[in-house]
Amino acid sequence: MLRRAVLQTFRQGLAQSFFKRYAVSLTETTVTHQPIETSDEAGERTVPTQKTGDESGNTVVVAPPEFRFIYPEFLPDPAMERRNRLREKLERMDMLQRRSVIEIPEFYTGSIMAVTVADANSPNKFARFVGICIQRGGSGLRAWFILRNVVDKQGVEILYEMYCPLIQKIEVLRLERRLDESLLYLRDALPEYSTFPMDMEPERRLNNSVVPINPLKVKLRPRPWLERWERQNLQGVEDLNLPQRFYDRAEKVAKPWEKYDLMLHYRKTIPAEEQEKIFAEVHSQLQQQELKRKLRRRRGSDNEY
Amino acid sequence: MVFHKRRWLVRRLFFNHEQIRTMSRVKRRTTHPPYWHVLKNNQRTDEKISSDNLRFVQEVIQDKYKNKSPIKGSDLDIEKTEWDPKTKRSGVIARNIGVQHMWEKDGKKVICTVLHVLDNHVIRYVPPEEYAKSVIGAKMFKNRKPLGCLVVGAEASNPERFTRQYCSLFDEVGLLPKKRLARFIVTPNAALPPCTPLTAGHFVIGQAVDVYGKTIDYGFQGVVKRWGFKGGPASHGTTKFHRRGGTIGTGRDKARVWPGQKMPGHMGSERRFNRGLKIVRINMKYNIIYVKGTVPGPTNSIVQIFDTALPRRKFTEAPPHPTYFPPEDGTLPQEDIWDSSLHVFGSPSISV
Repeated sequence: MLRRAVLQTFRQGLAQSFFKRYAVSLTETTVTHQPIETSDEAGERTVPTQKTGDESGNTVVVAPPEFRFIYPEFLPDPAMERRNRLREKLERMDMLQRRSVIEIPEFYTGSIMAVTVADANSPNKFARFVGICIQRGGSGLRAWFILRNVVDKQGVEILYEMYCPLIQKIEVLRLERRLDESLLYLRDALPEYSTFPMDMEPERRLNNSVVPINPLKVKLRPRPWLERWERQNLQGVEDLNLPQRFYDRAEKVAKPWEKYDLMLHYRKTIPAEEQEKIFAEVHSQLQQQELKRKLRRRRGSDNEY
Repeated sequence: MVFHKRRWLVRRLFFNHEQIRTMSRVKRRTTHPPYWHVLKNNQRTDEKISSDNLRFVQEVIQDKYKNKSPIKGSDLDIEKTEWDPKTKRSGVIARNIGVQHMWEKDGKKVICTVLHVLDNHVIRYVPPEEYAKSVIGAKMFKNRKPLGCLVVGAEASNPERFTRQYCSLFDEVGLLPKKRLARFIVTPNAALPPCTPLTAGHFVIGQAVDVYGKTIDYGFQGVVKRWGFKGGPASHGTTKFHRRGGTIGTGRDKARVWPGQKMPGHMGSERRFNRGLKIVRINMKYNIIYVKGTVPGPTNSIVQIFDTALPRRKFTEAPPHPTYFPPEDGTLPQEDIWDSSLHVFGSPSISV
């Protein structure tokens, strides 16, 4: 079996501060809900930003900065042609409604998860699948993630839509991150890197405040591959050992100026001010839901004794 | 998404050349309004007005268009008109604000278009005899019994952007000038008095609607995108023939290019109706309608919504006739109404 590397909690400066849990209780102030606008310009009119510590004494909600990593699907698709504030607001309300029924936990690419789905063709009407999350995407109610596992020597990937009402339960068995945002290279890796037992138990986390980064370097099978991995600057893959001409061609084809293109990155992301507004809107409800779930879990564990 | 494109690209093997020849002479788009419309947008450049005068102008505007109280059903002097299956009700002007995915009760995903009903107000009613004398009315009711016409406006905005002639259209009603006007053909029993608001409650859950919009403007497009031609091979030595049209006619028969020959040109920005779309959810608080399917036009474009013209999907029971008025005893209507086939997000997960 695969010799699991010792999980090191990587301290990466800025990244670590983003994952500090509950440290932001210092910045939170009392909640004042903005009055819901019923006029037609509800979506178009911008919410006036009030700084904390105003002379008038108005308090403002600030969500913790880690919300944009825990709940990335609340941010809308950045493409300007299709954006509309009112529709995004209504979609967020629907998302919160769904989250009040089912717990959608925090997870990242590289986390091992188990999903139970209602399936008419299964013997007991529910199908449970365990796998590693290799990719996640979409925004709003269209948010999805792909789980990969190797079952009976056959690689299987399933795309789940996070807000589909057929999903009964989403559990995170091991919460960790990898060195890359997308683990599609596991398709060309040796099968032991994608195999996880179907009856895996949820693992208890050693350190609740930091999400560990698994520095595992995966070994790929010999070529041919599905994609040109040498051109993608992957961190989580062992040395590819290709002839030099592959790397020369990769250099010719590369676009090293893209990392300096500010407008490109601006168009691909939602500006920080808007992110703050969006998370301030959903912050209180998400916190309430989390508290309720914690109480239920504690009551459940108390009842055991 | 891919299936939609496939249906577009199916080419008919035998097409009626007569029909294409007549249609190819019809002017499909203009950038200017009809000659009988008044000039709408302010042509003057920013004049150098002092701040005092500017404030005075804004005071005058506020005085002129003071807030009116909402109209109750009992205030209007509509004769208690009965609904019958041949009644044509008014339509509504809305904005297509995007697409949201919803799920049915058996877990099937459904793409729904979100339509935001803007602040519609009736501007005036044109009775059938008068409308039959106008340019469009004469053409429409040439050999038919004439119907009336309701002029509805949406999206009130600052009078300073419009011309005086355009603002005078709204003077009788005393409303702020609207950015968008539309005419809806109605039977006389569905006529509405001026200044009546039209909201999302005008429609009924589960009814079928037709949505009119102008399709996405693709600009000047080549033959592959516009007509779905296959073009030529990408490699194998092809010289400059990858996305071209190829032959445009035979040599012998007729010895010329037929009118209507498919060639590159302007694509999109055309009037289209999507018919028979089912309303699956109405949000009365924000005036939003969710409609199953897609609607012509890009996101944030203005569309018009009508009761359907498809004969098998028309109303069997009376809808809110002539339009919806909130109940007079002050009880608030149900805020979010869902169709029975849809899974409500706050309800428990579906177990098959």
